[in-house]
Formats: sequence, C-alpha cells, structure tokens
Amino acid sequence: MLKIENLHTTVGGHEILKGLSLDVPAGEVHAIMGPNGSGKSTLSYTVAGRDGYAASEGAVMLEGTNILGLAPDVRAAKGLFLSFQHPMEIPGVQTMTFIRTALNAQRRARGEAEVSAADFIRLIREKAKLVGLDDAKLKRPFNVGFSGGEKKRMEMLQLAIFEPRFAIMDETDSGLDIDALKMVGDVVNALRGPERGFLIITHYQRLLHYIKPDRVHVLAGGRIVKSGAAGLAAELEKSGYEQFIEAA
Amino acid sequence: MSEALFNNPTPFEVDLQAAFAGRAKATGAQAAAFERFAKLGFPNRRIEGWKWSDFHGALRKLTPANDAEAQGDIAPSEFAALNPLEFRIINGQIELPQGELPDGLRYGVVEPVATIPELERHAIVNLNIAMTGKALGIEVGENTPDRPILIRHINTNAAFAFTQTMMRVSANARARLIETYEGEGSGFYSHLFHMVVRDGAQFHRTVVHQTGADQIVNAVCAAKIDADAAFNQTSLSTGSRLSRHETIVHLWAQGGSAEINSAALLCDDRHADFTTHVVHKAPHCRTRQIHKGVARDRARNVFQGKFEVEREAQKTDAKMTANALLLSDTAEANHKPELEIYADDVECAHGSTCGALDADALFYLRQRGLNEAAARALLVEAFLGEVLDGVDDERLGDIFRNKIADWLVYE
Ligand SMILES: Nc1ncnc2c1ncn2[C@@H]1O[C@H](COP(=O)(O)OP(=O)(O)OP(=O)(O)O)[C@@H](O)[C@H]1O
Ligand SMILES: [Mg+2]
Repeated sequence: MLKIENLHTTVGGHEILKGLSLDVPAGEVHAIMGPNGSGKSTLSYTVAGRDGYAASEGAVMLEGTNILGLAPDVRAAKGLFLSFQHPMEIPGVQTMTFIRTALNAQRRARGEAEVSAADFIRLIREKAKLVGLDDAKLKRPFNVGFSGGEKKRMEMLQLAIFEPRFAIMDETDSGLDIDALKMVGDVVNALRGPERGFLIITHYQRLLHYIKPDRVHVLAGGRIVKSGAAGLAAELEKSGYEQFIEAA
Repeated sequence: MSEALFNNPTPFEVDLQAAFAGRAKATGAQAAAFERFAKLGFPNRRIEGWKWSDFHGALRKLTPANDAEAQGDIAPSEFAALNPLEFRIINGQIELPQGELPDGLRYGVVEPVATIPELERHAIVNLNIAMTGKALGIEVGENTPDRPILIRHINTNAAFAFTQTMMRVSANARARLIETYEGEGSGFYSHLFHMVVRDGAQFHRTVVHQTGADQIVNAVCAAKIDADAAFNQTSLSTGSRLSRHETIVHLWAQGGSAEINSAALLCDDRHADFTTHVVHKAPHCRTRQIHKGVARDRARNVFQGKFEVEREAQKTDAKMTANALLLSDTAEANHKPELEIYADDVECAHGSTCGALDADALFYLRQRGLNEAAARALLVEAFLGEVLDGVDDERLGDIFRNKIADWLVYE
C-alpha cells in the first residue's frame, strides 16, 4: 500500500533521511519509534509533500503510484492523511467551513459527489462526539486557543471525517490524557480494514496498547535500523535507543 | 486671475487655472482658497503625510481632456438589492434621485462649503473649495426610515472633477450611507465630504472604491461627532493609479465614538492610501480602528492612522491596528500609526504588522485537500475577517465577501 524505497531528504542543508525504506501493506498498522531528531517528522513531511522537504532520491509509492512530485492536495485527494505533531492554529478560518471545503475539494478531485451542508453538519456532529469535541469548539476559528490535547482531537476529528486510505499519525499520543488515548485507539480501530493502512509515529508503548501494530520499526540515523513484531515496542521502552544510535 | 499663480506650472495646473478663471461665480472665499492652493501646489513626497502618495508626480503626467463625451449607460449598482435612495455624481454632475422623499429626509443641491479651518493646509481641499460650484446636501431627521443612502461617484472620462457632499444626521437619528467610487475614467477626482453627527445619532458609512486602474482620486471626509453620537465606517478599496481616502473625525463632546475599519485588496500597479485622523476633544470617547491591506504584484498599500487626544479628553479609549499581507516580493506596504496624547488618564494603543502568508498554515490546508489557490484564498479571507466582522448589515457583509472572492479569483 505505502512503499517507501531508498528515500533521501535534505532539510536546511542537512541530509536527514539517508536511504529509508519501508513497506506498509494494505490492511496493516505499522509503528515507527526513534530518538528525537532522527527524522520521523521529516519522513511524514516528505511523504505529504511539504515545501522544503522534497526527496532528492528514492520513491514513495501509494497504491502503486509514485506520489513524490505531486502537490500536497493531490496526495490528499489520493487518500493520504497526516495527523500533525504540532497542528497549526489558523485564526479567522472557521472550523466547520474549512473542514467541509476540504472534504468537498477531496471528493471533487476524486470525481465523487460533494456533501451537502446539512449532511456535513450531521457528519461532523457525530464524529465530534466520538473524539470529544463539543459544538462550541467547532464554532471557533480553527484550533485558536485550543489546548494541545484539543488540537490532537481536532486531528482525529478530521481523520474520522476524511476516512483516508493511508494515515500517518505523527505523535498523536503526545499530550493526550488517558481517555483521549483510548479515543484515538477507537477511531483508528474503527477505520482499520483491508483497504487501509496506518503509520503511527510514537515515543511510547502506551498508544500501542490500544492500537496493536502489525510491525514496529526503529528509525535512527535517517534509516530504518530494526523492524520487528509488536513486542519490539516494549523491548525498546526498556532498553532505549543507545544501541541504534551507535549502530547508525 | 490672469497672471500665473504657479511657478513652472504643469499642464494640469495650467488647465486648472484656466478652469478657475473661467468660472462665472467664484466667491471671495473661493478665490482665497485657490490662492492658498496655488501657494501649496499639489502635495509631493516631501510634504509631511504625503510621502507615499505623490499627487504632484502623478498629476504632472496627466493631460486632462475635457471630453464631454457621453458616459454611456450606467449599470445598476450592486447595492441596488438594499433598495437605497440613489444619488449619482457622474463626472462631477450631481443627479438627484427621482420620486417621493422618504419622511424626515431632505436633500438638494446647495452652496458649497466656504472654508474648513482645520484643513487649511490641505492643498487639494483648498482646490476643491475653490473649484466646486454646487454641493450635494443631505439632512437626515430623527424619524427617517432606515433606508440606505447611496452616493455613486462615477468618473468615465479623462477630465478633472471637484465635488462636495454636505450631510447632517440630526440628533438621535440613524443614517446609513454607502459611497461607491466607480468608472473607467483616467482623470482626477476630488470629493470633499463635510458632515456632522448630532447628539445621540448613529451614522454608518460604507465606502467602496472599485474604479478602473487609471483614476486618480482624493476623497476627504471631515466629520464632527457630537455627544453620545457614533461614527461607524467601513471601507473597501481595490485601489487605482493613485487613490487616497482620508477620514478626519473630531469627537467633539462626551461619549462620542468612532469605529473606522478599512481593507485594501490591491493588484498590478494599484495604489490605495487610507489616511485617518481622529481628534479626541472631550472625555469618555472611544475609537476602534482596524486596517487590513493585501497587496500583490507591484501594488502599494498605504495606511496612516493618527489618534490625537487633547488635554480635556480624559478616559479616552482608543485602539488601532494595521496589518498588511504581501503576496509578492514586489508589493509594498507603508504603515504609519501615530498617537499624540496630551491627557494623562487614557487608554490608547496601536499595533502594526506586515507579513507574507503563513507557509505552515498553507501546507496544513493543502494537506487537507485544498489546492493552492483555494488555500491562499481561505487565508486571505481569514486575514480580512476582522474588517468583515465590523460590517453589521448582513447583506452588506455578503456583498463584501463576494467582492473579496471575486478579487481572489484573479490570483
Ligand atoms: N526546517 C529545518 N531546518 C533545519 N533543520 C531541520 C528542519 N526541519 C528539521 N530539521 C532537523 O532535522 C532533524 C530531524 O527532525 P525531525 O523533526 O524530523 O525529527 P523527529 O524524529 O520528528 O524528532 P521528534 O521526536 O523530536 O519529533 C532534526 O535534527 C531537526 O533539527
Ligand atoms: Mg517529530
């Protein structure tokens, strides 16, 4: 489903990703762990197409097409979703208007019918309840004045509404309380299916209690240096990354 | 009047002098105003307050052609849906509305103003006073129905035109005025708007400058606000060769308030200058001002806002912010916020920012599926949001929003 081959990315003059390869087949959930600054967010930005994070080498295949070189919105319309490690506040942009505009832009790009205003309101109300955001929050400008946890809930709200084919979740668990962690698990598990894939970037094992990953990878020194079954997360939490930093 | 008043007159000044000399009924006050103008000349970059809007330079290139050419059909105003009482000033000629007068409203063609002491150093105002033959006069009584008044300033030729509007909003009355600057003309238009808002009255003024690219416009509004009266103004400008809208408000008595919001949306080589001066003369007055300018290509957005607080004006509460958004490296924003405070117990603040679109926000929106144009449009609209929020009439707000959307399509 998402197949990354020999990916190299240079950011601000430093090569951060140095030939990273990773394959997440359809229907699977993979987790990536790795030390601070190892390039996890860089990977997510490169895959999503952020300016300044263009790959100098390699390929990112989403369902068989190399998406490198496509505009970020084209990648989004193909079903790629990134839950940001640090979601932005966007003053002046009404939350509901924005999410509906985005949903319909994606649907138009895929040749699907747009969602009517009434249907959208029903949809967003239902999903907002799921992620624990009340109506008042939906009426505020996007993320403005939200707590860290609320911003992550807003990411999950969009995940639930867009129902992407492939989602990268960059430290969605950081800053979340126990209930919210469980909520994230519920949202992801409800979407899990043979047609979808997830890449979960995390520092802690606790989210993986709720979302059982099929594989766990260690990113260090710009490459995947180790991969294993779900148990690897627990192992890492005990042993730390030192062995990998030296290896890398 | 035959001898030359100007040193090295430009072709434009030669024409002006001939036009003034040819006027049948100039009064003594007008002759004095003309002489004051001739001494001052058109303001150039070296004149305080005109650094960024060089009328002298722009007008010296102008060769006025007084073609009395028919202006063609005037399309209905886009504000027609608000059922306004419509006045037109077409190439300087006043056209009054037909039909019955609403109760409490009086209007007509009246003698122009003879002098405005606080603007005696304003060259173009002097020229306007000298050149204007008749003014449009409007008086709104207390029980006038809440129907908007629309004044359309339409200029379609390459000539110069000088006009005035005098308006009085009676005590406790409510009045809503919409002024539009329109037309594909390429001449110079000067409008002087002289008004008073009496005790307890409320006045809403909406100004939309949407002329063709070539007009040179200076519109000056001088308003006197009495006790507990409110002056509320929202302007939207897409600029033109040189356009300067000035608002001079005197909060004369206790409890007066002013809200002055403006937005500029500029492309190509267009220029928009909003210059305002609010004089707080009495205690307990309140002013709020927000300016937002968006410029791309080689456009230039100028904002000069000044709050003056006189010694008697204790408990003045005045806030000003000006934000510019530059969408290209060659666009320019010039801001000059100013506070001049002589009272000690006041709350006054101003802030000014200038920046580009937030690249992080842009990427976020695009990751969610908006293409570049849609994402930029959403952010520009968000940037202008505060000014739109100040429009209290929903239909007006919708017209503003549509205008912004139209402008963004050309991105
Ligand atoms: N725009 C940039 N300019 C310069 N260096 C950058 C830039 N963006 C990232 N880097 C550097 O790239 C490296 C990888 O950063 P990245 O954010 O991908 O790490 P990460 O693995 O996500 O870390 P964390 O666990 O702290 O989130 C870091 O050393 C960082 O300082
Ligand atoms: Mg990171």
